[in-house]
Order: sequence, then structure tokens, then C-alpha cells
Amino acid sequence: MSVAAVHSGGIADHIHPEPQGFIRRYVFSLDHKIIGIQYLVTGFVFFMLSGLLAETIRTQLLNPNGGFVSPETYNEVYSIHGSAMVWLVVIPLLTGGFGNLVFPVQIGARDVAFPWLNMLSFWIFPVSGLMLFSSFLMGAPTAGWMEYPPVSLQGQAGTSMWAAAIFLVGVSSTMTGLNFLVTILKMRAPGMTFTRMPLFVWGQFATAPLLMIATTALAAALAALFINREFGVPFYDPTKGGSPVMWQHMFWFYSHPAVYIMILPAFGIISEVLPTFARKSIFGYKMIAFSSAAIALLGFMVWAHHMFTSGLAPFLQLPFMILTYIIGVPTGIKIFSWTATLWGGKIHYSTAMLFAIGFVALFTLGGITGIFLAAIPFDLHVHGTYFIVGHIHYVLVGGSMMGIFAGMYYWFPKMSGRLLNETLGKWHFWLFFIGFNGTFIPMHWLGMLGMPREVATYDPQFTFWNRFETFASYLMTFAILIFFVNIIWSIRYGKKAGANPWGARTLEWQVPSPPHYYNFKHVPTVYGLPYDFSQPLPYKGLEEELTDSPPAVAAGAH
Amino acid sequence: MAVASLAPDAGEVDQLYIETRELRLQGFLFFLISDCVLFSSFIFAYLYMRNSGQGWPPPGVQRLDVAFAAWNSVVLFGSGATMHYALENFKYGHFMRYMWFLLATIVLGVMFLGGQAYEYNHLIFGEHVTWAGSGIFGASFFTLTGMHGFHVFIGVCYLTVLVLQSAAGVYTRGKYFGITAGTLYWHFVDVIWVVLFSIFYLL
Ligand code: HEM
Ligand SMILES: [Cu+2]
Repeated sequence: MSVAAVHSGGIADHIHPEPQGFIRRYVFSLDHKIIGIQYLVTGFVFFMLSGLLAETIRTQLLNPNGGFVSPETYNEVYSIHGSAMVWLVVIPLLTGGFGNLVFPVQIGARDVAFPWLNMLSFWIFPVSGLMLFSSFLMGAPTAGWMEYPPVSLQGQAGTSMWAAAIFLVGVSSTMTGLNFLVTILKMRAPGMTFTRMPLFVWGQFATAPLLMIATTALAAALAALFINREFGVPFYDPTKGGSPVMWQHMFWFYSHPAVYIMILPAFGIISEVLPTFARKSIFGYKMIAFSSAAIALLGFMVWAHHMFTSGLAPFLQLPFMILTYIIGVPTGIKIFSWTATLWGGKIHYSTAMLFAIGFVALFTLGGITGIFLAAIPFDLHVHGTYFIVGHIHYVLVGGSMMGIFAGMYYWFPKMSGRLLNETLGKWHFWLFFIGFNGTFIPMHWLGMLGMPREVATYDPQFTFWNRFETFASYLMTFAILIFFVNIIWSIRYGKKAGANPWGARTLEWQVPSPPHYYNFKHVPTVYGLPYDFSQPLPYKGLEEELTDSPPAVAAGAH
Repeated sequence: MAVASLAPDAGEVDQLYIETRELRLQGFLFFLISDCVLFSSFIFAYLYMRNSGQGWPPPGVQRLDVAFAAWNSVVLFGSGATMHYALENFKYGHFMRYMWFLLATIVLGVMFLGGQAYEYNHLIFGEHVTWAGSGIFGASFFTLTGMHGFHVFIGVCYLTVLVLQSAAGVYTRGKYFGITAGTLYWHFVDVIWVVLFSIFYLL
């Protein structure tokens, strides 16, 4: 038993037999990398569908009195647009998608802790997505993605379908969070201490408990809404003693942490891309890592800043305002760290890097309007106006989506073995960047002038800027089409990437593209942080990875 | 939770099993945490509605019968004790005693459910207090205790499966994670009941 002397015989030395056949390999796969790609594909399909809804909204707003769709349909369209973008696009892409694809390799694990659970999480997701879109067939919800009662109690049958669909996708998120958290806590390679983990892993590490805890709170709120609607149990019904404001508390107790679910993994992506293309160690590693944890924690204490106009008790307003200001501090720390990373770096403007830099710029603007909104006197004026729509799109599109695009250009070679086309990529970036700003900057002054959100018509004085926004949004959509064309083209004809096209230093780049289903022939030992470009790689045991030799442990060995 | 060290003869378990068990235990604890959040959210809803200024219990509803529920609670806490002894006996190799304690736990769990059914019956048909028809009282009381009862029911089913599996020799003195998980779950359901009993009957 000489092998046993070297290997402990635990999970790290255990390789399952290679899955055989198309179904086991690509459909009901247990491999976290395949599941990650499944999430990405499904998420981008939903992205196209909800993008179509977005363009319906913008087309309606070409004219002050609308006319493209009926006001009722308009209400349904923006409600499903928001819900789908949050729960079927951004969250699954960032957690189930990039999370699955990247972080287990980055910590030197062979898979996540519970591969079966992972597969289940994934398959719930497309099902709940179809349920959500099917609500159009029975009268979709009309009260926005927040579905405030009493309007949501009066909505047609689709609102119950909405609640069920979001509940299910929430179950999937919860299981993903649990799975990731156990994986990060228990399955890191030898030497991979918490303060040696790549920052993308830190992003997932901070997100996972939010997925696990906050999403369950949402499940309760949704279950109560469903019960209220279907069985008449008066949780939120004010005519029978229930409280609509209670829904707001329960919803935002989830949904504020959820905005961090939607941004912390993107922070992680940016923190990998910036040092790689600046060829410079990340500035303030620990500050970035710990501020993610701080944000996750503080994120549970600020929810009522969405309710300043909902009759919140005055003695609660001030604490929530101050806590919201405080949460801006760790966010600012990150922005300064990223800027300092770029400072004096040898910057290579690849498409991934352009998106990362674009992220820093646009997210900062969104963060600043967030600080505006935290100020109660200001918020009272702009709550429920287009200013809010501007804020959320700067953080969610300028932030999360730009992060997703950066991640796609960065990791596409790892998943497919081929590079995305850089020329198309640059067109994608610039058209998207211009179109994005054109669409969403004017919303800030429209909001301050009093244009309410979620209304199918508007005052004619706002016509010019609305048309401007609509045309800019077409440009943005065009840019996204370029991106899809790029993906389809590059899968077939893209340049061969090799194991490490960017000269990056985290573990996933030290194995072939795409990696073997068992990730590592031999689980490496880690000696330091991955970001110091002047030093040799801080890993031992990777010598065999790029050769043709078989893995050190036989498949199926017990 | 050092389960590994509690196994008297760990000789038969290999490293793979030990590590897998650790993952499962961790995952199971996280599952309990998120389940706890589910209860907490509804408890928040209950307290929020209760304090919304309509007085408690709301007009038209009697105070709940503490005495009966107290006896029923004793039954449930008793089942927590028997479950504890079941696990301890298994660990130290007293298989038959383990089986008897497990069966006792199931019986007590079913008794608790029976008590709850009796109480529901009395409320619904005796006092006409219903889930949908009694305002925030019906909403919060039946939802929370119903959720808890459902957890007890799932637990009873699980323990029944444990009995069958144990009889078939599935668990050995080194490998018995299924029993550990069942015990943790059962204690968790007990603790939730302590909270529910306090806020519905005592508060
Ligand atoms: C510096 C950090 C931030 C601060 C201080 C902040 C503050 C706020 C405040 C006070 C509101 C409530 C406005 C109102 O409805 O009257 C708000 C709304 C919102 N924020 Fe932020 N925010 C920040 C970052 C983010 C991030 C990173 C995201 C997501 C990635 C985000 C997403 C949202 C969303 C989705 C809404 C509102 C939704 C709605 O009413 O539909 N925010 N923010
Ligand atoms: Cu918020």
C-alpha cells in the first residue's frame, strides 16, 4: 500500500469513474463545470427573453401616451422583466453559473460537496423559469418585481404562479448556497487558507450564506402571499387585519441582501480580471476579502431603506439611514483598492479588462446614487420615480451585467478551449457602454423632475429624453446581439486558447482548457496568494497537469 | 461536532467515509439553519401582526388552552429524551435498547400529533376558529403550528424508515450518519416547539 502512504485516501484522492454517454455527461451531469455551463446557457436564454420585455417597455415609452401595448400589458411586461432579470438571469449566472464553473477549481477541489444536490439545483431553475414566463398565459402579475400587496392580492392567477416560480427558484438558490458554503469550508486544497483564497472565491464565500439565509426568508414571504391569494388566509389583507407593510419588511429583508447576492460575485470576477491584465498584485487583498464579508453582514441590517415612505416608525428611520451610509464604506474600500491596483500597472486592454474597468466606473456611479437615496430627505422626493430605475440599472447592469460580461470574456477560453473574438468583443463593449449610459443617465434627471416609474404613459414634457433613452437602448440591444454572435462564432472558429491564454495565476489556469472532469490529476498544495506576478507560482504538485499522463489515483478507487 | 471521535470502533471506517460524513453533517446543520430561518420569518410575521394594535387575542377569539398544550409539550419533550437515549445506546452497541427507544420516540411523536389534531378539532369545530376565517389569529396560529406539525410528521416518517433500515442492518457501529441526522432533526423540531409554545400559549 505505497499509495496509501502518500495519499490519505479521502475525497481529494477519490475520482469517480468518468461519466459515459451524452445524457450523463451533458444533461444530467454531476460535474460542476458542466453544471456551470448549463446555468450560463439557461441564464442567457432567459436574458434574451427578459431583454425582449425590456425593449417592449422602451418602445412603449417612445410616445407620451404609449400606444405600443395596452397599459395592462405594460404592467405585466415590466413586472416579469424585473423578476426574470433578478431571479432568472443575474443571480443564476453569477452564483450557479460562474460560481460552479470556477470556484471549485480555484480552491483545488475535485467537485462541490454535494454533486447530486447541485444537479437538482440546476434542474429546478429552468422549470421555475418556464413557470414564471407561463404566468403571461393566465394574467401575469402587475405590481412590479416587488409585488406589493394589496395590488398583488388582486392580480390575476398569474400572480400565484409568479409566487410559486420565485419560491422554487429560491429553493434552488438556497441549495446552491448550502452546497457552496460546505465546499469552501471543507474542501480546500492543502495550504489553501482563507487568506490565500482567490478573491472570486471570497465573493462566493460571502454570497453563499446570503443565498442560504435570506432566500429562505423570501420563501416564507412568498408562501404567505400564495396562501393569502389561494386560501384567503389574511396575512397581507388589510380588510381582515393583515398588513401589507409586513410584506414589504419580509420582502426587503430578503431583497436587500439579494442585491449583494447580485454584486458580490461580480466583485469577485473584477478582482480576478484587474490584476491579471494590469500584471500587478491586487491592492489590499485582505481589505477586499473582508469588506465582502462586512457587506454580507451589514446587508441584513439596512432593508428598511426601501420603506422610508411606507410609514416606517420615525425612531427607526434614522438608524436605517445611518446603517445604509455605513454600508457604503466597505463598498468604497473596494473601489479604491481596484483603482490602486490599476495604478502603475502594465495594463493590457483586452475585452475582459475593458468590461472590468467599465464596471468600476459605472458601479461607482450607481453606488453614489445609492448614497443619495440613503438620505431620507432626498429619498422622499425620488422614491417611486425614474431616479430609482437609474440607480438599480447602474448597479445591476453597469455593475452585475458588466461583471458577467467580463467573466464571459475571461473564462470562455477555460470552458471551451477557444478565445472569444477580440474585435467583436471591442465592438460589444463600446456599443454597450455608450448605449447603456444613453439609456440610463437621463433617468436620473427625469426622476428628479418627477417622472414616476412603472406607468405606461408620461407627461409630454419628458418626451425628448424618453425617445433618447429608447434609441440608446436599441444600441445596447444591438451590442448584446454582437456578443451572442461572437459566442456562437467563437465556439467553432475561435483561436485555440491553450491552458493559460492570459498568463493568469489562479489554479483553474494551471490545468487544461477545458479541465478534466476530475479537475486535477493530483491535488496541489498551496503556498501563498495567487496575485504576486513577480514571484513563481505558489503551488506544488501541478507538474503532471499539462502532460498526457493518467491521474495519480485510479478512477473509482476506494 | 466531533462525531468521528464518538465512534467506539472507528476501525472499519475509511478516510473517504469520515470526510464524506463531515460534509454531510455540515450540510445538514446548514439545512437546519435555513429551516430555522423559515420558522423565524413566520414568527416575525406573527409578532408583527400581533402588535399591530388589534389586541391579543383578537376580538372573537378565546385564549388558547394552556393546560392541554402543556401536557402535549411534555409528550414531545419526552420524545426528545428517548431519541437521545436511542442514539447513545446505538453508539455503545446496545442495539435492542436502541430499537426500543427509537420505537418509543415514534409513539410519542404520533401521540403529539394526535394531541394537535384534537386541539385543531376543538378549535375549528368547537370554537369556529379557522385558518382563513379568523383574521390574523387563524393565519398565524394554524400556519406556524401546522408547519411544526408537518415537521413532526416528516420526522416520524424518517424515524420509521430508520427502524426498518436498522432492522435490515444498514447501520454499523462505525457508520450511522443517518441516525445522527435523525437525532439532530428531532431535537431541532423540539426546540422550535419550545419557542412556539412560549409565544402562542404563554405570551
Ligand atoms: C453603496 C451602496 C448602495 C446604497 C447606499 C444603496 C441604497 C439604496 C436605497 C436607499 C434604495 C431605496 C430607494 C427607494 O426605493 O426609495 C435602493 C434601491 C435599490 N438598490 Fe441600492 N444601494 C446601494 C447599492 C446597490 C447595489 C450594489 C445594488 C445591486 C446590485 C442595488 C440595487 C438596488 C435595487 C434593486 C433597488 C430597488 C429597487 C426597487 O425599488 O425596485 N443597490 N438602494
Ligand atoms: Cu437596499
